[in-house]
Amino acid sequence: MSVTLPRSASMSRGATGRRYRRPDRTRSRVAAWTAVTVIGLFGMLPVYWLVATAFTPDDRAFSFPPSLIPTEITFDHFTRLAENEHLFRYLVNSVIVSVVTAALSVVVSAYMAYAFSKFRYRGRRSLMHLVLASQMFPQAVLLITLYAVFSATGLLGGYTALVLSFTTFTLPLCVWMLKGIFDTVPDSLMEAASIDGASRWRTLHTVVLPLAGPGMVAAGLFAFVRAWNDFIFALTLTDPERQTLPPGLVHTYLGEFQTAWPDLMAASLVVSLPVVAAFMFLQRYLVGGLTAGAVKG
Amino acid sequence: MSAVNTADAADARRAAGAGRGLSNGQFAWLLMLPGLALFAAIIVYPLVSALATGFFEQSLVRPGRTFVGLANFADLLGGDFWPVLRNTLVFTVGATVAPFVIGYALALALNSGIRASGFLRGIFLFPWVIPGVVVSFLWLWIFNANYGVLNAVLLKLGLIEASVSWLGEPTMAMIAVIVTKTWASFPWMMVMLLAGLQTMPKELHEAASVDGAGAIRRFRSVTVPHMKGIAGIVFLLEFIWNFQHFDTIYVLTGGGPAGATKTFAVAVYDTAFKGFDLGHATALGGLWMLLLLVLVAVYLRRETKENA
Repeated sequence: MSVTLPRSASMSRGATGRRYRRPDRTRSRVAAWTAVTVIGLFGMLPVYWLVATAFTPDDRAFSFPPSLIPTEITFDHFTRLAENEHLFRYLVNSVIVSVVTAALSVVVSAYMAYAFSKFRYRGRRSLMHLVLASQMFPQAVLLITLYAVFSATGLLGGYTALVLSFTTFTLPLCVWMLKGIFDTVPDSLMEAASIDGASRWRTLHTVVLPLAGPGMVAAGLFAFVRAWNDFIFALTLTDPERQTLPPGLVHTYLGEFQTAWPDLMAASLVVSLPVVAAFMFLQRYLVGGLTAGAVKG
Repeated sequence: MSAVNTADAADARRAAGAGRGLSNGQFAWLLMLPGLALFAAIIVYPLVSALATGFFEQSLVRPGRTFVGLANFADLLGGDFWPVLRNTLVFTVGATVAPFVIGYALALALNSGIRASGFLRGIFLFPWVIPGVVVSFLWLWIFNANYGVLNAVLLKLGLIEASVSWLGEPTMAMIAVIVTKTWASFPWMMVMLLAGLQTMPKELHEAASVDGAGAIRRFRSVTVPHMKGIAGIVFLLEFIWNFQHFDTIYVLTGGGPAGATKTFAVAVYDTAFKGFDLGHATALGGLWMLLLLVLVAVYLRRETKENA
């Protein structure tokens, strides 16, 4: 039995020729390319500067005006990075926290989304609203009492506090994304499995979840990125040796007399790489998942 | 709705060991249990507890607390609340309108049939994909008063006569954080609005074109009405997120200079974790949430209408 999910259909469609534009085609092309160029400069020049600084020798980075086109490149900053054991520790922490968060988020949100999508029961709508609304509660406020809660339960400072917090915060979007996918799984499929004698658990795990594979990957990726990028929780809830990269980098590089900018840019580049790579690899699913809930065709 | 039928079928098979004696409702609650437990522990309880703490005088570093009624709120409304509200509003409006306009323009451009729009869309997502703290580091370096590239470029172009201390002057610092946040969020706007544009039936534009409508007229009478739903949601969501944004401001300015960029998120964080004053921090948080609640209510109303 094969079922194709109409995932992200609207996104993968490339822009093709538009016949109706013929009369003012040239003018609209010019306008479009102008917009793309101007916004492109705004969008890309900072990225260029990030990369350029990371490869610029210290003496050149700290001269003014800086040379916009590098005349000399160096890998020193990356070597120094690799030799810094604190940074390696932060990196390991980030990987642990993000991977566990991603796995936990997918499991918890898949069950929840399935319950929202395929069953009707009292309180369902209110719960869906609560889940949706919860991403709007200011985290700085939650953080204050969460600090006390984790402190009282002895979880403060460790990985658990971060993983539980991040998982919870990713649920609204993950549940929403996966619910959209479960909605597209035809009920007849579940009926068929049930008639064949499969239990509801079995139907869920062997029939429905595999169909939602791409969506679950997207949800997991989203959760990973959320955990990888978080600053305020990791800053507040962790011990120094359990800190993830974002607060770790702040502690390592900022607040001294003279910030080692090229080193910081090199470190920033390294921190961004997993996210950018994961994103490029799974762009289609992520964008599809992001827009699935928001755009109704 | 036909899920109910599935459920009925499953009920009928219960004799075959299919249902394990659980009704469908019970099964659904079982599925939701882990998620609900997390919500209760990480969001609901801390939230209720925070709202209660606003009525006490309590320190982060000393045990015990004293009930002070509305004193914390009175203190805040007597002074600190207003500049923070003003800063939050300025930041939120600026950091929502600017990426909305840029993202919309870019979405329109990419949807107009230019070549390589799929590739360009991917490229343009870069600033949004980069971790928030890295975004802040990067712009901190760009805005650097002594060695920053922004000063260098503007000097070269003759737009300024001497280096500007972008983050050292109140108005400039606010503009700087808005620019930074705009840079980080316009790609998201672009993706969402582009998705909306791609669902627009071409025939509408063709018909309008045949009727002699020019590009601007077609944008106003065809594109804008079609995009109303998605544009509204995207704008509102970004507004809500900016209303509680922390990272960029905290790393770039720390709320300074002289409190000029101190928004609710920064003020609550500082009061709690630097001033150790939980009573005032949570009271400020309560007032902040009250404002957010209005926004969230608007969002939920729209969202549930769309997804009904």
